[in-house]
Amino acid sequence: MYLLEHDAKTLLAAWGIAVPAGCLVESVDALDEAALPPGPWVVKAQVPAGGRGKAGLVRAAEARADLRSLVAAMLGQAHRGHTVRSCRIESRRDSAHEAYVGFMLAPESGEVRILVAASGGMDVEASAAVRSKLAAPQSQALAAAVGELAASAPPRVREAITQAGAQLGEVFLRRDAVLVEVNPLFVSADGGWLAGDAKMVLDDNALGRQQEVSTLLAARSHAYAETWLKTQHGCDYVVVDADGELGLLTTGAGLSMMLIDELRAAGIRPYNFLDVRTGGLRGDASRLVAVLNWIAEGRKVRCVLVNVFAGITHLGEFARLLLQALGQAPVLKVPVITRLVGNGLDEARALLGEAGIVVEPDLDKALALVRAALSKQHDTTQVRQR
Amino acid sequence: MINPRITRRTPVIMQGVTGRAGRSHFQLMRAYGTNIVAGVSPRAAGAQIDGVPLFGTCAQAVAATGAKVSILFVGADQLLAAIDEAVGAGIEMLVTPTEGMPVHDALQAKRLTLARGVTWIGASTPGMAVPGEAKLGFLPDSTLAPGQLGIMSKSGTLSYEAGYRLVQHGIGQSVWIGVGGDPVKGVRFADLVPFFGADAQTEAVLIIGEIGGTEEEEFAHALRAHAFAKPAFALIAGRSAPEGVSMGHAGALVHGVHGTYAAKKAALEAAGATVFGSLGEMTGGIVAALRR
Repeated sequence: MYLLEHDAKTLLAAWGIAVPAGCLVESVDALDEAALPPGPWVVKAQVPAGGRGKAGLVRAAEARADLRSLVAAMLGQAHRGHTVRSCRIESRRDSAHEAYVGFMLAPESGEVRILVAASGGMDVEASAAVRSKLAAPQSQALAAAVGELAASAPPRVREAITQAGAQLGEVFLRRDAVLVEVNPLFVSADGGWLAGDAKMVLDDNALGRQQEVSTLLAARSHAYAETWLKTQHGCDYVVVDADGELGLLTTGAGLSMMLIDELRAAGIRPYNFLDVRTGGLRGDASRLVAVLNWIAEGRKVRCVLVNVFAGITHLGEFARLLLQALGQAPVLKVPVITRLVGNGLDEARALLGEAGIVVEPDLDKALALVRAALSKQHDTTQVRQR
Repeated sequence: MINPRITRRTPVIMQGVTGRAGRSHFQLMRAYGTNIVAGVSPRAAGAQIDGVPLFGTCAQAVAATGAKVSILFVGADQLLAAIDEAVGAGIEMLVTPTEGMPVHDALQAKRLTLARGVTWIGASTPGMAVPGEAKLGFLPDSTLAPGQLGIMSKSGTLSYEAGYRLVQHGIGQSVWIGVGGDPVKGVRFADLVPFFGADAQTEAVLIIGEIGGTEEEEFAHALRAHAFAKPAFALIAGRSAPEGVSMGHAGALVHGVHGTYAAKKAALEAAGATVFGSLGEMTGGIVAALRR
């Protein structure tokens, strides 16, 4: 999970790493109650994506009134496919030296890539000032690498990077991180330092042994809906287009991603991504019911496409579960088109056919059926409007 | 050099043979032709499953059978220890379909296998197959047919769809390897370029990639570095995925400029590979290029 900056800083602070004082607000009204840090401030929109500064989503505020207008302007804005649902308000540092420290996986060698820049700025990642080195995933190796990379920096900066880097490396290892990046690392004239920004991506597969992260996830589940759903329901579900017209009940991450790409290229707007993991259903329809109910939340969803390539799963068994789930999710009142191929197709076809549900083994033909269903409804809507 | 070309005679041991999934795939793999000669189960040592003996440790299974290949149906939290045990017992190739291996465990497993020159396929892979000979894992039989195309894939289901369509058009596979969708894994696309370049049965290769990571870019680099002289095709999923959200596969996460579809497509095309925009385009393109 790609942590929002506020949560990343909360985790870093709990580790003893200095961050600017700040608070999180999820509405303008919440400002009245919020325990604001000392001003002047910087208001930072919370989205799991970079490029916020250039998009106007990080802004300075002098007075409380500025806070209100900035928060009001940022909330609800879209940035790189995400909607701003909260803002962090922080005490502002105006005159400090800026450096950069980052840790990421080096998948080719099983090591960690350490990145250091003695002086930073918004585009530091693309600049030649960044020096990098690989080290074994062990605390001492990481700390030593940071020290070497900072060796040529002025003493005050070198000392700050070395100290911060050793602690951040420890966080990277102990919190099962995929990425930890502090940009900028503020270094003040007296050598003190603060993590000005924090980007952390944590490993969802390690949640079972990360109690602090699991607690954070449970408390802020609305901010990490995808990871939360996965831990609760055992499937991957992402709303990719709030105005999408086609709900997807699909299995397999790669095939579901490809299907979304192809649908969009064909001018059809899918509502969601789903890897339902048919192999994990084990005769229980409840996961399918949950998924159908989530899809029913899509206000413009007018058709559902089921796509299952059954390598191991038996389609007869899947068809029975699907029918059971459709019966238990009555909110969803749109046509369902199924594209099924693999073991037990004949049985599935007979079962679903009785219930009036079309089964088409060819994916391209199934997409044609989807297109027909969507355009037919367009026509009826137009007729009704007249 | 990595050589994944197993045959129906290659002796294979299975770790985690007594679990629910293990038991069922044990039978499916044997039905396909895989020569499973022993199972490893600390609790059921001394017993047999369908006439195949079970041993308490990998070392005992290897000593008794001489097997150098292991397939592991072991839970994510025990996978690192099981890999460590296999490597310690002298296994030279291991396939781990397990989903959900913690990435820092994968870092350790990567270091272990690299240090000992062990070929590790996985984690989070549907497995690998030499069609007509043997399979390790659960690639569906309906998608497998002996043929001339080398397949490497990050995604199980997307490769099933691709393999199935191509088989329907008469294009089978020389060797099929699911490298898996995890960010840190054993064998990567690029590692397989020398093997497929030298393999006499392989006339062309197809990689089925995804956004995120740099594996497709590394593959492109390897095509040039090894002067790969056969056609290379690619299909990459996720071009319309939003940044910062991983869609099912932990590896498929774009942040900033890293791992984007555009970067991968450009790198592959610059190395002479053909990147298809859809499954239909892929089928048509490969059939036109390979069918005589």
